[in-house]
Order: sequence, then structure tokens, then C-alpha cells
Amino acid sequence: MATATRTQYQEELQRLEASALDGLNLVNSALERTLEAIQHQDVELAQIVVADDDRIDGRYLEVHQSLITLLATQSPVATDLRLISALLHVLKCVERMGDQCVNICKVIPLTGNEPPADERMVQLILGMGKQTRALIGQAKRAFCERDVELARDLVRQDDVVDDLNRDGFRLALEIGDDADKREWAMTMLLAARAIERIADNAVDIGEQVAFVVTGLFREFEDASHPSG
Amino acid sequence: MDARDSIESPAMTETNPDPQTSPQAGATAGPAISVATKSPAAGLRGRRDVGTVELQGLHAYYGSNHAVRGVDLGFAADQVTAIIGPSGCGKSTMVRCINRMHEEIDGARAEGHVLLDGLDLYDSRIDIVAVRRAVGMVFQKPNPFPTMSVFDNVVSGLRLSGASRSEMDDRGREALIGAGLWDEVKDRLKGPGVGLSGGQQQRLCIARALAVEPEVLLMDEPCSALDPVATLKIEELIGELKQRVTIVIVTHNMQQAARVADTTVFMLDGELVEVGPTDKLFTTPDDERTEQYVTGKFG
Repeated sequence: MATATRTQYQEELQRLEASALDGLNLVNSALERTLEAIQHQDVELAQIVVADDDRIDGRYLEVHQSLITLLATQSPVATDLRLISALLHVLKCVERMGDQCVNICKVIPLTGNEPPADERMVQLILGMGKQTRALIGQAKRAFCERDVELARDLVRQDDVVDDLNRDGFRLALEIGDDADKREWAMTMLLAARAIERIADNAVDIGEQVAFVVTGLFREFEDASHPSG
Repeated sequence: MDARDSIESPAMTETNPDPQTSPQAGATAGPAISVATKSPAAGLRGRRDVGTVELQGLHAYYGSNHAVRGVDLGFAADQVTAIIGPSGCGKSTMVRCINRMHEEIDGARAEGHVLLDGLDLYDSRIDIVAVRRAVGMVFQKPNPFPTMSVFDNVVSGLRLSGASRSEMDDRGREALIGAGLWDEVKDRLKGPGVGLSGGQQQRLCIARALAVEPEVLLMDEPCSALDPVATLKIEELIGELKQRVTIVIVTHNMQQAARVADTTVFMLDGELVEVGPTDKLFTTPDDERTEQYVTGKFG
């Protein structure tokens, strides 16, 4: 067989994959601080999360541009093409996950410095967040290791988040007639919904793992046609 | 006239006088066999129902060098098939076996069968001139006849077959239109063919090949000597011509293969590694060697 070629291109592609996936670390860090802000009603920390989202957006733009350049200059095909296509998708997920953290952090100040917090609801949201952070880490590992089974397992892990989200609705309904409490509960439901979407994005990344490995794109679960 | 009517050629009535010296295996004695072609009425218009090529156990040698090693492969009519692979993999040799050009090289020989619509082109009773009329070829560098005008270049093959003046005029014009060159040269038909640009010369060569209405057109790196604009014109032309003639293109340019071919064949070390729809071969190849080659990990 002839000699190896295109080493610079391969190195650049590897670098961009690492950089895109490192975006998931940024998201995980943003989510961790978001949860801390919820737990302690820390408005300042929430503002830091909002400001820091520029780092995630910057990562998105930088890697996205470099991937477009690779497409334009290197004409990638086969696994390389699938990888670049998947990374573009991963980047979009990373950017949206960051935006969801921002969405949560923007509503935290609305409930005031000492909101009428319900401890069960707070713990439920922290539980959702912890589970979602685990999903983000698992999605990254599945991508790095091209592990389709690990990627598919994200669906099972996501079901836990979905169940907690539904429990949150029940808690909100049980929270009583107090207007402030109800307003706070509504805010927490928005936060729960945002976290649930972050977990969905982690599953989306898992689907991209399967695409890179198999060349076939299929949703692990069809939300519009649930299997039951 | 039926599309399967044969070319009337005195040469086709000749049988190989000495089967032992024949370059091909499996030669059989018997009456002359005609090579099917399209009728003039079918012309360069409409879809065809002929032009399938099938290689069966094809081997090709340059002396002791075994360049093509037992290839079994079909080329569907109305399709463009691209052959890709690193230098020396046997792709050009394999293609040159289809119109029996390979055996013209000293010490070169081929074994196996090449079937055109079921007819074995390596049968000893086949007339090679008729084979090359049915299977045209376009080369890497445009090679118009240097002393001939644009129009005479186009109809040179027809003239050899004894076509009438009016037939040459009609089919020459039709071939130039088919090659996308008519509008550019209609006012300089008497000018020298070599006076055209490189891209025009290559399309002139395509017109020359089309004028004799072949079933199959072999293109051996037809754009490697052309600039990007001329290359794109040839590629567009290939897309138009595939409805009229089966096209087999050898290319080093994988993006070109991806752009023009319906089916792509990857060869390595004289062997066929993978054949498949072009989009599949360039997105999810089955063979690891194909993956390595198309992604540029070796070459």
C-alpha cells in the first residue's frame, strides 16, 4: 500500500473534534453553576453564567468556521465527512445547551432574593440537573470512543430526566394557592423544562455517534411516534 | 432500422487467420460476428436499450507484469461509471481492455471475456475495427488530427466507414451539438482543429467519438489537462451524454468521480476492491481500503 498522506488535515480534524467535544465540558460547567444558582438563589452567579455563555458561543463559531474551511479546502468524504457533519450537529447542540442554561439563569432573579422556595421542588430540579450532567458526560464519552451502545443508553438515562420533569408538574400543582409560591413554581417549571431540553440535546449527540459509526441516521426515539 | 443492426464493414467479415496468435483467451473459430451499434435513426437522441458491458475474469499483462487480476464487473447502459485508484492500480489498463487497445502495446495481452450486450469482444471472429467503433475512447490529452479542420476531425471516423457527404454533414453537426461544441465552432468549421482551446479540443475529440455513434465511451482522465472551467464543461457534457452512451471514466480526481458518476469502482493492485453507488462509496464505503483511499490516508 502506498505511503500515508494528508497528516496535517487529519491532525486538524482531530483537533477540531477535541475542541467541539470540549464544548460539552463548558456546558457541563455552565449547568453546574446554574444548579448552584438555583439551589442558593444566587443571582450574581446566575449573571456570571449568562455572561460566560459568550465562551460557548465563541467555541461554536470558531470550530464551525474551521469545519467549513475543511469542507471547502479538503473535500472530506466517507468517515471524515460523516464526522464533520456530526460535529456541526454537536456544535449546534452545545450552543443550544448553553442557551438553555442562560434561559434558566435569566429567570432566577425574577423570583426575588428570598423566594418562597419549596424544598421538594428544588431537590427535584437539582436531581434533574445532576442526571443531565451525567448524560452530557456520557454523550461526550460515547462520541470520543465511537461507542454506539453507550450512545443508545442515553435514551434510558434521558427517561429518568423526563420522569422527574413530569413529577415537577405534579409538585407545581400541589404547591397551593399562594400567588408568590405559584409564581416561583412556574419559574422552576421553566427551569425544569430547560434542563429537560439539555438532556434531549445530549441524546441528539448520541444519535450523531451512531451516524458517524454506521453511516445511518436514525432517531433513537421518535418523539412524534412514541413506541409506547 | 433496429438498434441492434450491425455495422456493414468489409473488415468484419474477416476471421482471425491464426487463433494461436490471438491476444485473447477463449477464441473460437467460425463465421464473422458483427458488433451491435445504434442505428443512425436512433442517432444521438433518446434513451438506449443497448450498451451494457460485462467483464468476466479479465486479466491483463504487460509481459510478466500482471496488471489486472481477474476482474468481474458490469457497466450498466445509460450510466456513468468511474474507476478510481492509485497510480499503477490497473484502472487504465482495465478500461483499455474494453476496446482492445491494451493488446496494441508490445508484450501486452489480456485474458478473459469482455461482453458488449452479451457479445464477447474477445471472440476471435470479432473485427477489432468494429469493436473500436462501438467502444469509443477519449484520452488524457486532446488529440485532434493536426492537419484536419474542425469538421473533418469530427467526421474522420465516418469517412473511413464510407459515409456519404450528406450523412457526414448531418452526423458531424449532430455530434458537435451532442458534444456541446456546435455554437462555439459553427462559424469556424473549416478552421484547424488544433486552433481550438484545450477544452474545445477535448470536446472536439468527444464529438469525433460520438460521430460514429458508439455504444460505449471510455474516457481515460479526460480532464487532467484542462483548466477548471473546461473541466466543468466536460463534466456537464458527461451528464448529458450518459443517456446516449454508456460512459466509463478513469479519473484521479475523486471529486470528479463523485460529481459525475452513478457508480464508482475502486481498484488496488490490479484487483477490484469495491463497486457501489457513488454516494455510498464516498460516504459509507464497505471496504476499509476504500475508506483509507478516498479519505486520502494513502495514495
